[in-house]
Amino acid sequence: MSEIRVILAIARNDFSYFFRTKWLMAILLSLNLSDMLVVALVYGNMMTFEYFNYFVPAVVVMGLFAASLDTGRRIWLALREGVIQYELSLPVSTQGLVIAYLLAGGAAALVYASSLLTIAMIVLQASAILSALMLLPFLFVLAMGLAGIAATLSAIASTHGEFFFAFQNIVQVSLLTLSTVYYPLDKIQNYLPSFILPIVTSNPLSLAAEALRQYTFLGIPIELDLLLRILLTSVPFAIVGAFAYLGALRKIQAQGKI
Amino acid sequence: MRNVIRLVWFDLKPELSPPVWIVMEWVVFLVQVGIYGAIISQLVTNPVIGDYKQFYAVGLVIMITFDMASHTGRHFVEHAHEGRLPYLLSLPISRSKLFLTIALQGATELALMLSVPLIVTLLIIGNLTWVSVVACILALFFLGFGVAGLMLGLSFIAFKSSDLYTAMVTGLSAVIIRFSTVLYPFIVLPSQYASAAAFSPLTYGSDLVRFILGFDPTILLNPYYAVAVLAGLAVSTLGLGIFLAQRLVEGVKSA
Repeated sequence: MSEIRVILAIARNDFSYFFRTKWLMAILLSLNLSDMLVVALVYGNMMTFEYFNYFVPAVVVMGLFAASLDTGRRIWLALREGVIQYELSLPVSTQGLVIAYLLAGGAAALVYASSLLTIAMIVLQASAILSALMLLPFLFVLAMGLAGIAATLSAIASTHGEFFFAFQNIVQVSLLTLSTVYYPLDKIQNYLPSFILPIVTSNPLSLAAEALRQYTFLGIPIELDLLLRILLTSVPFAIVGAFAYLGALRKIQAQGKI
Repeated sequence: MRNVIRLVWFDLKPELSPPVWIVMEWVVFLVQVGIYGAIISQLVTNPVIGDYKQFYAVGLVIMITFDMASHTGRHFVEHAHEGRLPYLLSLPISRSKLFLTIALQGATELALMLSVPLIVTLLIIGNLTWVSVVACILALFFLGFGVAGLMLGLSFIAFKSSDLYTAMVTGLSAVIIRFSTVLYPFIVLPSQYASAAAFSPLTYGSDLVRFILGFDPTILLNPYYAVAVLAGLAVSTLGLGIFLAQRLVEGVKSA
């Protein structure tokens, strides 16, 4: 019981650090809000396709993704600045420390994405509030999975910041580009080879964007199948990330560094 | 001059061994143009714009220029924050040479970052000639100097709070790009956004490069205005930067 309390205290500390980082908040808010209120609108003027309605829900997923990936930066900072040595001395198991970081990453991303979702619902005048609320737990699991990706990258890059940020950037661009966040599946089918399509359709970002579009903004009744697919595609990322970070922490415990 | 080159190399060396950032920027550019640009251009049906992939590739080149230039400005502030600036000021070189070092380092990084994206863009557009390469490089460097000077000009905020400075310039960066013609032509902007875009230096930089590369002039701003704005911006902000480097940096301590 006392370990759970310590885990929650570490998670709360990491969670509040995310929102206290002013430059990060400035980047995320300015990027996501300008994507929603400027890019989506102006692109709509260049297309016959209803791009505004299509892209605004996806910006919520982009915000969730960017905020989740910041977990990796915080882990990398903890490794570089030696904070991790202090955290390893706390009365908490190594697994508990990993869980704390993933919980904080998921919670911070969910809170941030929820604020974007509220704005998106006002902008698009969506009324399916109950569906939006029902999606939140699944978005939380997705955020933990994405935080797991970030944790894996930070464990691989160790204290080499340039590698971590490069890996993060490439993963972010690749996952977003190979998804239906920016464009519908039929346009991707026209351009990319067929063997890429399963990656696009099972990309958790595509699934989350689709779930938001259909259930929250179009008001279609929620189908369990799509939500289960979000869980099935997110959980492996969270598990891999947890093991990668756990491995890095064990190495620090054994050798004093990674 | 040898001292200037030595200082430039001193700062550049860590970034080139290995050149992770540069290669990463090239990979991201190729993915964005090759996949995102190609797919989104299928959705762009406005006949005036033509092939949106070409329009977008130029926009990405402008974004790289902007990122590098603002990074150069921020670098100066980071030096002040990390205590490196007092060391540089103690070296037996003049303030103007120190400023030249900052400018040259930024220009070298920009040239390295832009080499592959610019050539790929010119190949996509089908306009890879010496004239287009030289004219584009000139326009991009003018824009780069202007933006770097702008970031240097804002550095006085950092001497009060470097957190606030970083938050301001990074937040501003996203907004400056969105409220400009980097990603879309001026004619498709709603009127309230168009008036904001008219104040963005990136609007003039991107429209000038597109004009040089033979895009339809009816969707671009007047190139004479663009040249005048970019030249004015580069001269005025660099002048401000030289003033700051010579007068204000002595003994400053970034908060």
